[in-house]
Amino acid sequence: MPTITYTQPNGTQQTLEVAEGTTLMRAAVSNGVDGIVGECGGQAMCATCHVYVRPEYAQALPEISDDEDEMLDCAAAERTDRSRLACQIKIDAELTEIVVDIPAGQL
Amino acid sequence: MTTQDAQCPFHGNSETRGDDADSARASQHQVHTIPSQEAADYPVADWVDVAALASDPYPIYARLRAESPVAWVPQLNKFLVTNYAGCHAVEQDQEIFSANVSGATMTRAIGAQPMLRKDDPEHSADRAPVNPVLRPKSIKEVWGPVFEGNAETYLEKVAEIGPHEADLNRDYAAPVASQNLIDLLGLKDVSVEQVRRWSHAFIAGMGNVLDDPAIWERCDASTEEADRLLEELIPYYRQNPDASMVSAWANSGLPASNVAANVKLTISGGMNEPQHMVTNMVWALSNHPEQSALVFTDPLLWAAAFDEAVRWQSPIGMYPRETTRETILEGVRIPAGAGIGVVVASANHDEAHFGDSAADFDINRPKRPHLAFGSGVHLCAGHWAAKTSIGQIAVPMAYKRFPGLRVDKQRNESWDGWVFRGLTSLPVTWN
Repeated sequence: MPTITYTQPNGTQQTLEVAEGTTLMRAAVSNGVDGIVGECGGQAMCATCHVYVRPEYAQALPEISDDEDEMLDCAAAERTDRSRLACQIKIDAELTEIVVDIPAGQL
Repeated sequence: MTTQDAQCPFHGNSETRGDDADSARASQHQVHTIPSQEAADYPVADWVDVAALASDPYPIYARLRAESPVAWVPQLNKFLVTNYAGCHAVEQDQEIFSANVSGATMTRAIGAQPMLRKDDPEHSADRAPVNPVLRPKSIKEVWGPVFEGNAETYLEKVAEIGPHEADLNRDYAAPVASQNLIDLLGLKDVSVEQVRRWSHAFIAGMGNVLDDPAIWERCDASTEEADRLLEELIPYYRQNPDASMVSAWANSGLPASNVAANVKLTISGGMNEPQHMVTNMVWALSNHPEQSALVFTDPLLWAAAFDEAVRWQSPIGMYPRETTRETILEGVRIPAGAGIGVVVASANHDEAHFGDSAADFDINRPKRPHLAFGSGVHLCAGHWAAKTSIGQIAVPMAYKRFPGLRVDKQRNESWDGWVFRGLTSLPVTWN
């Protein structure tokens, strides 16, 4: 099965096996991964599922839409060139493994 | 078990007006929780006094959380979910906990089913067109100056009324919230009073479970007035699009009937809550002078003050869902087709989530997610608008205009409601 690995700010890692079609936000919220709130349910309206994607997976990601771009500017933690909203990244045939770092705060 | 008619205005069951008196009479007897297993498979909280809920719900919420955070409350014909974990779980699962509740008076009141009573994908089709209007950039850049102008206008009126007579709810919070909504929707030349009348008539209709013909008459008259205006506005905005919500909906490809239903939903739900947040914030700061002193010296703290006030005295206390199948929530088996009351005001005081000081107003508390705007796909569409128009503009401007602004203890304030809760009057004075 595809896997998502979430890295907490203190370095601890949690790897989930997930079904294709789920998003990084949905998998985290459903499995109680700390540090991902996902307040708006995936509409790119809140910026509380901010993650830093490890560079080796960047190629496999969809482009950042205007909506996601705008909301990333409102994220609580610093935006970097690795910043994405976890709700906008879907696990599919193109992306079967990913490792992300969770920022220190989402609110 | 089946649910009866959903009773609520806007977000669900009756605002505990109208049918409250009856419910209150029916629940006069103070019986303790029936050991539920005898009669049913779930805890029963038949001691809940609906009239007491409306005057001060927090002691009742505390007992529900301690004894049975998922409990059947026969007086309300619902399971009330009162802890954070339970409310959050309901909000994360729209397949089991549907927003499309049976017998929705909301649909009767505004003549069509609005997005708040739909699940995805139908909900998303209605909601997506206005999300861009309501994201932070549009709110700040396009609407911020409009909200400032409206605050300015009504601060002048408050100044004319003076520090011995002013009522912050009547003279400022209500008209500012109404004019902000008129502008953000793009309703053009309707008056503050007219939109307030519509909003109250829709809310009363949504809570009209006893089918009072006079309430329906007022509600239908308002629906007709709003529909007539929209018959003009929708074609107008198709020719002349702008940054307003009606324009976004009019140009979304949605049928005009969907647009009208959601505009009327917004009129119902987009006025009382920001209005209550103006008064909630001033009341909270006035009663916590040491914290207001911090806010006045560091304007960056206005965001925390707003966020803490909306958690502490949440304007929307409860909204309904309905189970589509049997399920287990927080260890309690709930049958299919059961009415659920998601009591976010109680979740927002849950010690298990916010710690022992959950019941206190503390702008410096560690940041934790709260549920005042809901969460999940129905997260309040106007949450950025509210944070900006009230938390960054209306309230800070009032303090700037009136140094020493505070609750006037010489006159009486009043609170009301639990489904929707807020100050119905707030006398204020200043230096």
